Amino acid sequence: MNRFPRRSKGVTGTVATPDQGAQQTSWERFEQLYRSSRDDVFAYVATLLGDRSTAEDVTEVAFERAYRRRRTFDRRRGEERAWLFGIARNAALDELRRRKRHATLVVDPEDPSADGPDDGAEVALARTMVRQALATLPAREREIIALKFHAGLSNAELARVLGVSESNAGTLLHRTMEKLRKACNATA
Amino acid sequence: MRLLDDTPMDPEVAAALDAIDSTLAGEAVDPQYAELAELALLLADDRPRVDPVFAHTLDERVSGRFGGAAREAERPSGRSSWSRWMAGGAAATLAAAVVAVFVFLAGVDHGGSSSASSSAASSGVSSAASSSSGRPAQELSAPSRASSGAASGSADSAASSQAAAPTATSPSGQTPQPQSNGRKTIQSAQLNLATAPSRVDDVAQEAFNVIGQENGIVNRSSVTQTGSADGNAFMQLSVPSSSLAETMTKLSQLTYAKVASRTDNSQDVNNQYIQAKRRLADAQALRTSLLKQLANAVTTEQVDSLKAQIRDAERSISSYEASLAALNHRIAYSNISLTIFAGAQPPVTPTHHSSGGFTLGKAAHDAGRVLVVVAGVLLIGLAVLLPVAVIAGLAWWVGGMVTHRRRERALDLA
Repeated sequence: MNRFPRRSKGVTGTVATPDQGAQQTSWERFEQLYRSSRDDVFAYVATLLGDRSTAEDVTEVAFERAYRRRRTFDRRRGEERAWLFGIARNAALDELRRRKRHATLVVDPEDPSADGPDDGAEVALARTMVRQALATLPAREREIIALKFHAGLSNAELARVLGVSESNAGTLLHRTMEKLRKACNATA
Repeated sequence: MRLLDDTPMDPEVAAALDAIDSTLAGEAVDPQYAELAELALLLADDRPRVDPVFAHTLDERVSGRFGGAAREAERPSGRSSWSRWMAGGAAATLAAAVVAVFVFLAGVDHGGSSSASSSAASSGVSSAASSSSGRPAQELSAPSRASSGAASGSADSAASSQAAAPTATSPSGQTPQPQSNGRKTIQSAQLNLATAPSRVDDVAQEAFNVIGQENGIVNRSSVTQTGSADGNAFMQLSVPSSSLAETMTKLSQLTYAKVASRTDNSQDVNNQYIQAKRRLADAQALRTSLLKQLANAVTTEQVDSLKAQIRDAERSISSYEASLAALNHRIAYSNISLTIFAGAQPPVTPTHHSSGGFTLGKAAHDAGRVLVVVAGVLLIGLAVLLPVAVIAGLAWWVGGMVTHRRRERALDLA
């Protein structure tokens, strides 16, 4: 599982690579982005909304919006993944707004199949503990966890999606992790 | 919660983040971050997984491009939408320009037709005038010539040159006139004509001809022909008020002259006229009464006194009659002050010769005017569209900000 890019350290030079995106059509770029990001987008949205069914709808809406706006993507303003998650975030927040208007809170019941079949009792207990601790966090902090660990964004992408600087995004992530760790300890 | 400042990251925080990234990359981390690494792994392993059925459905939707091109056409992307707006705006501006050009050209055509109709009207007037020109033109002109000294216009010459006078085709020069409604009014007019230095004599002669045709009087005239720019002519004219408008129209359409300015005056003297008639009637009634009393007088004193009163009454009657006659004359005849001067840009050729031709100069002139109109329309369109675009942009920006705030608020409240 090497999906998560390391933050660069001690870089002394760069190697220029040809921009393959320029040779691809917008549809080909979108399809490639979809294939690489479908599961990540769903995981992020599902964590943020806490509802798998709604998350599926929102994921579909997010990709449809991205498809319609694929020609407006500007590489100078960030990478495609950050752009896509920005769209997904807006779609998810729209869903939260809609929920607020309809005053319904839909949360999936605990899914027993979510635990891995090979998990031991200790791991299952730890996972339950983390879930409970995660549920105590505010939505904004849950979102950071979702973007980092469920969507697999780098800190730079996280910063672009949230609209903050990279150092601020790192600080937010660290604070949230500390808070989550304390919540886990308190639950234990 | 959002931090907008970009302060350097705490080294301890950076080390913790490195440990998280290393853990997620499957690398070993420092034991002091073991708890953090375990938490990161638990979080990463607990990510919601996509239901295969949903994944298949979504894959198909993506392969079908979310319903195909038709749906995309219904909801165009931002850039193409912007392009369509731009194209629409350009088309609207172009359409406005075309309409303006047509309106302008229609206006030109309309002006041409009105010129033609006025020409026809003036022809009719000329024929009507010539049919009545045999009457009192000469006898009216005779006394004026005696008093005018240097007057060079005469009814004889007017009558003789009437047939040779070219028909004017310039705009009629009609000016608004108050409705008389049977009231007594005194009318007068001033007319300044510009002509070529060599044409002052010709124009003056044309003016005399017109006055002759209209049975008018040249009260005073002075014509100075120098052949240079200081040539001029001045005429003080009287014409029957009933033909003032017609006379002014003809004078405004002289072949070699161009109207520099024209002033029409009108003064209501109805009350003055009624009072003068009443005073005269009263004086006549008094005289009649005095004559009756004189017939019945018996003493010499009575007779003398009544005769003296009758004389006074007759003097009053004479005075009132003279006043009334003068007023009647001022009502019946209108004064025209005509000045002819050698203008800077006199008409080179009679207008009827150049009205129908098509020359390169005229085409260039028309093209220039069309371009000016188009530029004006574009400028007006820009003046209208610019504020609209600014307001639309502002509304779009405010709308975006409001939506953003609502979304963030929804996240805070979740």
